[in-house]
Amino acid sequence: MSGSVWGDSVFETIAAAQLPVVVLLLVLGTVAKVVTILKGVEPEGLSQMGPAVLVPERWRARMLLLCAVVELGLAAGLVATSHPLFRWWTVGFFAMSTFVLWELRRRRPDVGCGCFGEMSSAPVGLRSLGRTVVLTVMSVGLAWQDGGGWFPVPDLSWVTIVSALGGLVLIALLSPEIEEVVARIRYRAPCEQRPVAASTALARLRSSSVWQSHAEMLSASEPTDTWRELCWRFFSFSGRTLQGETVDVVFAVYLSGRRPAVKAAVVGANAVIRLDVEGGLEGGAVKPMPETVGVSA
Amino acid sequence: MPDPGVDRRRVLAAAALGRNVDPPGPTPGKEEPLHAVAGMVLDVTPHMISVETAEGVTERLVIAPWVKAWRGGAVEPTNLPLGSKVIIQAVRGASVVEKIWGDVTRITGRILSITSEGSPGGRPKDQIVELDCGPHRGRRTIVVPYRASGRLRVRHPQFEQGYLFDAIGVREGGVSYAYLPATSQPAYRGGAVPDPPPAYGGTQSRISGTAVWSDGFDDDERGAAYPMLEPLDSGCEESGKSCVGLPYLALGSMLNVHNVCTGRAANVQIVACGCVSGGFCDRCVECGTSPRGRIVELSPASFVELGGDLIKGCFNVRIGLG
Repeated sequence: MSGSVWGDSVFETIAAAQLPVVVLLLVLGTVAKVVTILKGVEPEGLSQMGPAVLVPERWRARMLLLCAVVELGLAAGLVATSHPLFRWWTVGFFAMSTFVLWELRRRRPDVGCGCFGEMSSAPVGLRSLGRTVVLTVMSVGLAWQDGGGWFPVPDLSWVTIVSALGGLVLIALLSPEIEEVVARIRYRAPCEQRPVAASTALARLRSSSVWQSHAEMLSASEPTDTWRELCWRFFSFSGRTLQGETVDVVFAVYLSGRRPAVKAAVVGANAVIRLDVEGGLEGGAVKPMPETVGVSA
Repeated sequence: MPDPGVDRRRVLAAAALGRNVDPPGPTPGKEEPLHAVAGMVLDVTPHMISVETAEGVTERLVIAPWVKAWRGGAVEPTNLPLGSKVIIQAVRGASVVEKIWGDVTRITGRILSITSEGSPGGRPKDQIVELDCGPHRGRRTIVVPYRASGRLRVRHPQFEQGYLFDAIGVREGGVSYAYLPATSQPAYRGGAVPDPPPAYGGTQSRISGTAVWSDGFDDDERGAAYPMLEPLDSGCEESGKSCVGLPYLALGSMLNVHNVCTGRAANVQIVACGCVSGGFCDRCVECGTSPRGRIVELSPASFVELGGDLIKGCFNVRIGLG
C-alpha cells in the first residue's frame, strides 16, 4: 500500500516537473515564430514553413502569428494559474499539433513543421512527430497532476530536477532544430562573404604603423574612395610626395583575424612608387591575393 | 563606360597587393574570337549589312548565306527594317556576320500590375504589364501580345502582381513586346529572396552558376553587373543580396568569366550593380542544369562575345577574379 502511494507521489512529481519544459517550449516557439514573421516580412517567405502552407497564401503570416499568440497564452496560463482550462487546452493544442503535422507530412512532405519558425525548415519527420506526441503526453500528465501554477521552487527535490532535465533531454533528442543551430554556429561564412563595416577597417588602419608612416603624405584625413574586394577593404587618399608630385596613397586592410595585415602603396600617375606592409594574416606571413575565391558548395 | 575613379580602383588595388592588372577582353583560347557589333541598320542586302555604331562609325559586314536574323522570330536579314537597332555576332575580325538580333530587348523585373484591356493600337486581347526593373532601371511598361501569352504563361505560372518576370522580346516604336520566356519563373515573390545556403567547410576554386544578359547597358558597352557589392561603395541600397553565396566585390573589379557551354573566356569589368539578378534563384538549362542561380549579368556585347545566344538568355558559367 505504502509502495503504491510512494509510486503515485513519484509519478505526480515527474509529471509536475514537466511544467517548465512545456512552458519553455511554448515560449521558444512563440519567440521563433514572431522573429520569423518580422524577418520574413512578406508571406511568401513562409511558403515552405509549417501548417501555414495548408491555408491560402494571404493567411499564412496571420496563421503563424495566431499560433504564436496561442502558445504565449498557454504558457502564461500554465505559469500563472492552476485552472484546468489551460491544462486541458494545452493537451488539446499539442494533440491537434500532432494531427496537423501528420497531415502536413502526408500532404506536403517537402515543408518543415515551422514549430520554431525558420529553424524548423527541415521536412517533417518522425522526430518532429515524436516530439509533439511527447509534449502531448507531458501535458496530459500536467492536467492529471493537480498541483498549481509555477512549480514550487522551495519544494525542489532531486526527483523534480532529474525529471525536468530528463524531459528536456528527451525533447532535445527529438528536435532536428538543434542540428540546424549547431551547423549555423559551426560553419561560419568565409571572410569573403561576411559583411564587415568599413569603419571597423578604417579604425584598424589608423592604428597601424603603415598609417603612421604615410600620414605626412596625405592631403586629407578622409579617404577619397573606399571599396571592398573579397576579404580586403581598400582606402584611397590623395597625397603629395616630398618632391611635390601628386599621388594616390592606397591602403589595403585585411578583414579577418586578430591582427590583420595592412598594406599600402603610393601610386603616381603611371607607376607604383612605394610599397609597405604591416602585420600578417592571422599573425602569420601575408598571403598573396588568391587568383580565385572560394565559396560555399 | 565605368566611372574613371572606379576604373582606377583596379590599378590601386593591384598596386597595394602586388598583383598584375589584366586588361579587359577575351582570354586567348582555341576558339576563334567572336566580336559584337551593335548599331543601327543603314543598309542591308542578301550579302552585306551596313550599320552605324554609337560612335558614328559605319561598319560593313558580309552576311553568310545561311545566316538568319531574329526579330520576334526568325527572319531573313533583308527583312530587317532600316533604322532598327541590331546586335551582330561576327567572326574573322568582325567582318563576317554569324548571327543577328534586331531590336532585341530583355524585360526583367517584378510585376506591378497587369491590365487586360488590350494595347493601344494593338489587339484587344493583348495585356499591358507594368514592371519594377530595380532602382537603376526604374519602371517599365510592356505589352504581352495575345499570341505570345500562352508560351510566356507556361514558364510564368504565377502571372500576377509581386512575382518575377523575365522575357525576351522586341522594342518597336518605343514599345517593348514580350515574345519568349527567358527563364522558368521562381516560385517566390520578388523581394523574398531565399537566404543562400550556409557555407560548409571546403571551398571551391571558382564559382559556378548562371550568366544572363540585360539591356540595361549601353549598346556597345562591355561589362557586367554583379549582385554582391557593398551598398556603401556602390551607392546601391539593394545590393549585397543574393540567393547564391557570393563573395563581395566592387565596381571596377575584373571578373574572369568562362562560358562552360562554349569554352570561351573573357575578362569583364564590373560596371553596375546587379541587384535585380541577385533576386533570381532560377537555373539555366542551356548545357546541363547550372548548379546555382544568377551570379553575373552581362552586357549584350559581352554576352555575345562569350558565345551566348541572346534569345536563349543565359549560359552556364564559372567566374573567378580576373
